[in-house]
Amino acid sequence: MATTWIITADTAVSSLLDTARSLGAPVTLVALTPEASAVDGVSTVVALDAGDAPVEALAPAVAETVTAGDGDVVLLPNRPAERVIAGALAARLGAPVLTGVREVGTGSVTRARFGGIALETVATSGPVVIVADGGAEAPVGEPVRATPTTSVYPARVTASSAASTTVANLASAKRIVAVGRGVKSEADLAMIRALAAKLGAELACSRPLAEGLDWLPKDVYIGVSGQTVTPDLYLAIGISGQLQHMVGAQDARTIVVVNTDDKAPILAYADYAVVGDLYDVVPALTEAL
Amino acid sequence: MSTVVAYKWSANPQDAVVGSDGTVDWSRAKAGVGEYDTIPIELGRRLADATGDELVGVSVGPAAVASPMAKKAALSRGLDRAVVLADDAVAGWNLTRVAAALAALADRAEATIVLTGDASVDENAKMTSALVAGSLGWPCFQDVSEVARTDDGWRLTQVVSGGTREIEVSGGVVVAVTTDAVVPRVPGMKEILAAGKKPVDEVSVSEIELPEAALEIQGRARPVMATRKHHVFGGTDAVNQLVAAMRADGAI
Repeated sequence: MATTWIITADTAVSSLLDTARSLGAPVTLVALTPEASAVDGVSTVVALDAGDAPVEALAPAVAETVTAGDGDVVLLPNRPAERVIAGALAARLGAPVLTGVREVGTGSVTRARFGGIALETVATSGPVVIVADGGAEAPVGEPVRATPTTSVYPARVTASSAASTTVANLASAKRIVAVGRGVKSEADLAMIRALAAKLGAELACSRPLAEGLDWLPKDVYIGVSGQTVTPDLYLAIGISGQLQHMVGAQDARTIVVVNTDDKAPILAYADYAVVGDLYDVVPALTEAL
Repeated sequence: MSTVVAYKWSANPQDAVVGSDGTVDWSRAKAGVGEYDTIPIELGRRLADATGDELVGVSVGPAAVASPMAKKAALSRGLDRAVVLADDAVAGWNLTRVAAALAALADRAEATIVLTGDASVDENAKMTSALVAGSLGWPCFQDVSEVARTDDGWRLTQVVSGGTREIEVSGGVVVAVTTDAVVPRVPGMKEILAAGKKPVDEVSVSEIELPEAALEIQGRARPVMATRKHHVFGGTDAVNQLVAAMRADGAI
C-alpha cells in the first residue's frame, strides 16, 4: 500500500494535509522540529530533532527515514529549509521533484512550468517529491517525542541577529497595490504609495519598474521570474497585463484595474476596472477611500 | 581544490510565447546567463580571490551551453574556467537528473564549495542547490548573503524570517545566494575578449552516471484564469462606483 509523506519544520501545512487526504493513502508526518510533531490528523508521526543544528542539517536523517517506494508521494512546504530536505531526499531516492504543483492525483500531477505560463500534466510511477504551498496552520495536538538521530550534517548556528529593516512581505499580504509602466516618472510613485498607505496595502510592481528602470526593489516585482501572490485585493495600476505578469497575481480574490487603454489585456483579468488616466483616477481614489 | 559556481544558460519566460494548447515557443526569447546566476559568480570570484582557489563554472543544458557566445557570457563575469555538459536531450530532463549531472561536474572540478543563484530565471523552482547537495551528500543552505572560509569549512550568513543567522559548516557545502548578496560586475570588452581564451571542458552524458527520475508528459495546457466579474466603470462617478463595489464585495 502506498504511503503519503509530509515533511515539515512547522505546523503551517493545512494545504498539504488536504492534498494527502485526497490521495487516500495513510499519511506519515516527518517532523523536523518538536513544534511540527504536534500536527494532528495523520496516521503516523516520526519526530526528528536537530538540536543545536539548523533544520537543513537533518537531511541525512530524513533520507534514512523516508523509505518512499513506488506510488508514494512526498509532500513538503515551499520554504528554504524544507526545499533543502526535498532536494536531499529526491537525490537519495532518484526521484523527480515537482514544483508549481496545481493538482495531485493518484498517478498524475499537474504543475505549472516556466513560472506558470504553461501547465503540464505528468504521469508518476515511482516515488515523487512535491514542493508546494504549505497553507494555513494545521490543527495541533500533543507533540511527539523525537527519535534520537546521529545522521546530522556537521553544521551549527553560532549567532542570530534581528533584521534592522522591514522587508515587504508580499506572500502574506492581504492587499497589494501594483504599479506598472503607466507611471511616467519615479517621483510619481509617491502618489501610488499614498494610495497603498490609505488601503493598508503593500506596494508591488510589474517587471520593467524593478528591472530596467530600478524604481523599486527586485523582490517586489510580480510575475514569472518574480513573486507569486494571493492577496484578497490586487489593485493593478498602469499595468498592461501580459500573461507573464498575471500568473503571479491570478489567484488574487479580487482584481481591480486602473488603465488608460480599454484594450489592455489586463481588463480580461479584472473584477472591477476604471478606464482612465491614472493621474486623475489614483488621487481621486485615494481621496474617496 | 576549487570554488564552483553552477550557472544556467536559459531564456526568460517573460519573452516566450504560449500557444492556446500550452506549447511554449522560445524562438523569440534570447538565452543568456541567468540574471540570478551572475550574483554567485561575483560572490565566487571574491571568495576565490580571498582563498586562492580556482573559480570553476559548471553548467548543464542544451548544446548552446557550449557555444562561443555562452562561454564568453559566463567566463567574462569572472570564472577561471568552465566544465559543461551540453546536450539538447537535457531539455527533457527532470531537475533531479540535471542536478545530479551538475554534482558530477562539480566533483570533477574538485569543488570544496558550490554556489548557485537564488532561482533559475526560467523555472524559478529554487531546487537546484538542494538537489546538487543531495547528489554530493553535502549540506545545503539557501538565502545566504555572505560566505567566508574557516579552518575546516565555511561560515555562512543566512537570511531567515526576522533577521539573519550565522552557520558554521565543516567540510563541503552547497549555498544558494540571495539576489542582493553582491552587485555583479558588468563585463567590458577586455573581459569578453579574455573569456574567449579561457578553457572550457565538455563532458558527455555517457561519461557520467545519472538517475533516470523520468516523468511521462501526458498533456500541456495554457493556464486557465479564474472567472472575473469584468465590471468597467466610466464617467465622472467611476471612482465612487468602484469604491462602492469594492466595499460591497468586502475587498476593502
